[in-house]
Amino acid sequence: MHDLISNLAMGFGVALSLQNIGLCFIGCVLGTAIGVLPGIGPLPTVAMLLPFTFALDPTGALIMLAGVFYGAQYGGSTTAILARLPGETSSVVTCLDGYAMALKGQAGTALAIAAIGSVFAGIATTLLIAAAGPPLADVALLFQSADYVAVMLLGLVSAVVMAHGSVLKALLMILLGLLLGTVGTDVASGDYRLTMGLDMLADGLGFVPISMGLFGLAEIMVNLETMAGRTAIAKKVGSLWPSRAVLRQAFPAMLRGTAIGAAFGILPGGGPTIAAFSAYSVEKKVARDPSRFGQGAVEGVAAPEAANNAATQSCFIPMLCLGIPPNALMALMVGAMMVHGIQPGPSIITKQPELFWGMIASMAVGNIILVILNLPLIGIWVKLLQVPYAYLFPAIIVFCAVGTYTVDSSTGDVVLMAIFGVLGYVFRKLDCEPAPLMLGLVLGPLLEENFRRAMVLSDGNAMVFLQRPISLGFLIVAALLLAAVLLPSIRRGRQEAFRE
Amino acid sequence: MMNRRSILALTASTLAAPRMARAAGFPEGPVTLIVAWPAGGGSDVSMRLVAEALSRRLGVPVLVENRPGAAGTIGHRAIATARPDGQTIGMFSQDAITAQYGNANAPALTEFVPLGFFGEEPGSLQVHPGTGITTLAEYIARAKAAPGKLRNGGNPAPGASFLYMAYYERKLDIRVTKVAYAGYAPTVTAVLSGEVDSGSVPVPDVIEHHNAGRLRLLAVSGAERHFMAPNVPTFRELGHDVVIGGWRSLAAPAGVPADRLAVLRENLLAVFKDTEFQTKARHAGFAVTPGDHARTAAAWVEADTSIYPIMDELGLIKARRKQGT
Repeated sequence: MHDLISNLAMGFGVALSLQNIGLCFIGCVLGTAIGVLPGIGPLPTVAMLLPFTFALDPTGALIMLAGVFYGAQYGGSTTAILARLPGETSSVVTCLDGYAMALKGQAGTALAIAAIGSVFAGIATTLLIAAAGPPLADVALLFQSADYVAVMLLGLVSAVVMAHGSVLKALLMILLGLLLGTVGTDVASGDYRLTMGLDMLADGLGFVPISMGLFGLAEIMVNLETMAGRTAIAKKVGSLWPSRAVLRQAFPAMLRGTAIGAAFGILPGGGPTIAAFSAYSVEKKVARDPSRFGQGAVEGVAAPEAANNAATQSCFIPMLCLGIPPNALMALMVGAMMVHGIQPGPSIITKQPELFWGMIASMAVGNIILVILNLPLIGIWVKLLQVPYAYLFPAIIVFCAVGTYTVDSSTGDVVLMAIFGVLGYVFRKLDCEPAPLMLGLVLGPLLEENFRRAMVLSDGNAMVFLQRPISLGFLIVAALLLAAVLLPSIRRGRQEAFRE
Repeated sequence: MMNRRSILALTASTLAAPRMARAAGFPEGPVTLIVAWPAGGGSDVSMRLVAEALSRRLGVPVLVENRPGAAGTIGHRAIATARPDGQTIGMFSQDAITAQYGNANAPALTEFVPLGFFGEEPGSLQVHPGTGITTLAEYIARAKAAPGKLRNGGNPAPGASFLYMAYYERKLDIRVTKVAYAGYAPTVTAVLSGEVDSGSVPVPDVIEHHNAGRLRLLAVSGAERHFMAPNVPTFRELGHDVVIGGWRSLAAPAGVPADRLAVLRENLLAVFKDTEFQTKARHAGFAVTPGDHARTAAAWVEADTSIYPIMDELGLIKARRKQGT
């Protein structure tokens, strides 16, 4: 305990230096801006910023880059709530209830709850990393391929459970996502599958162009058709001060969201998006009246926003403690450290205590900066979105195109985005939700890779999934969820719940 | 007739760069250095160091452009098909050699000309401490006692760490089960967790874990010991003639005029030989072993001759099959 306090004190000493506060501020402002603007995510931003950090000291550089990442979670919720445009993929679920609240004139409350949820999760996770970071990192090492298979199956099942409307359509969308996920290089043999001789397909269909097409472009097309002359952006923000009753309702959801987010952030392959999805489906399960979800339930904003922020921070645990990046952004962070001559690995905590504790302390500082940036100054960010359609739509399309292009400098990805924009529009017309498809696309290749590896490791014995306790546990939960959603009585209740 | 100013200019330039090759109007504007791997990785970091130093020598910006995808094929083709005016160069590693046999779309070796040799990154063999294996001899004995029982983590075929293990198997006359992971980071995790018994990833990716006792480096397949792991023996020291590893060199598209090639080659070699550059690179985990274009060409040919039979044996040749094989 004494160690923890003195370590944190040292961390704050580093994080509160004028230079590091400044860098943290820059990171948070940039993060909020790219979070607000759909189509530009933290991944390309951090990649683009990387060369500019060469001149900084490593701690300052990492503090700034981290600020971009968690700052984007704050900004992402703003667009999700006000315009039903997820600024980040991790705020897709916030659209559901956040936008519904905005339509009811409670945009201010939704924004405040999102920010409070985020800052609560942010500070709670900061303390968690500080207290449990080093031992917690070992948990990730207990997970083997078979366990990941079970975790991913659970993820797919929960995508069915949380989808609106028809179970059949949700299942079909997941299967379509899994199918799209088979495009690319075979993990074991290195053969090209379904690439049609195009090298741009050799690494599979990109997550960024497809999500921008399905969510960004399709949204614009639907809006153009249905909202001629009417702005999609909630004009009335309303009071930013949530009532005590709303806070009391939201707080348990924040707690659950934080716990779920922290857990998903640590798992390799996890991250803010899956955390937010899971937190939302848990809220719907524990709610006394699930029919409120999708209609502007405050828990539907509080839980995923807490979860995505908790996950963005907790995924630093395996990266900082073990040098193992659990997702693409952390891989970039590892790259940033190596540029500065720091070998990522278990010895960072002992060899570079200022870096480790300084970064952790900076997260607490950054979250406070972000609340100030996002709540009192919400008007400025809203202005960014109150630009008329005639300017906003072309601008969003340009940002989407630029953002997609910058990931791999590939024009093919921009074409892919356009194709999936049209597909996304068709899906909307057919009442098929694109979110399960995305999850299938992301989890499919990981599921296949881990499944095949687990089979190689067990000499072809499929019982391995039942023999490992972690895997068995997740499989049981997945089976229970699936049974729940397929049982006729529950299914009827669920359909009633979704009926408007 | 020469006027005083031109004589002065000539003298000044001669003093500044004695006997350096020059080419009229070259380089004209920024030089692009294509890296076929994503930003932040080892290839990117090393080439950014090169770009910075080369830019100071050439007096024009040298811009690193990451063109990742399809196991390097996209970036390699961007180099090969660039206008052969010397303004576009790129990194060339052994992956470019394996790619041409695995993918008919990948450019062939003949579409490149060598510029210079940056350095080597030898393969290495490391085990999970729980295996109880402490030496290479024990590893070999264990593998021979039960062929295919030991599991080794590495890249999917025909990635670098996959080939290293395939080469070890061939040379040591052992057989292990090769398990594919998407990159070095997840491979290292698997060795740390004991999901696999051993791994065949290079020293810089595992040295921290070795020092922390979380895994054990058994041997390095370089000609010499690795500077980051001076206590780990080479295969040769242990009596096995096993030398295999990756290397990084620079290449230009075929067809660049000779005078421009000479400028690029001389300046790159000067960069690699610069002690300040070497210190910087070492600090970032790279051992620079400067080599000219002839050394580079030799490395390409050597890799081609040693890798092709391994790929052939494993059925990985899908394009450009050599005559008589």
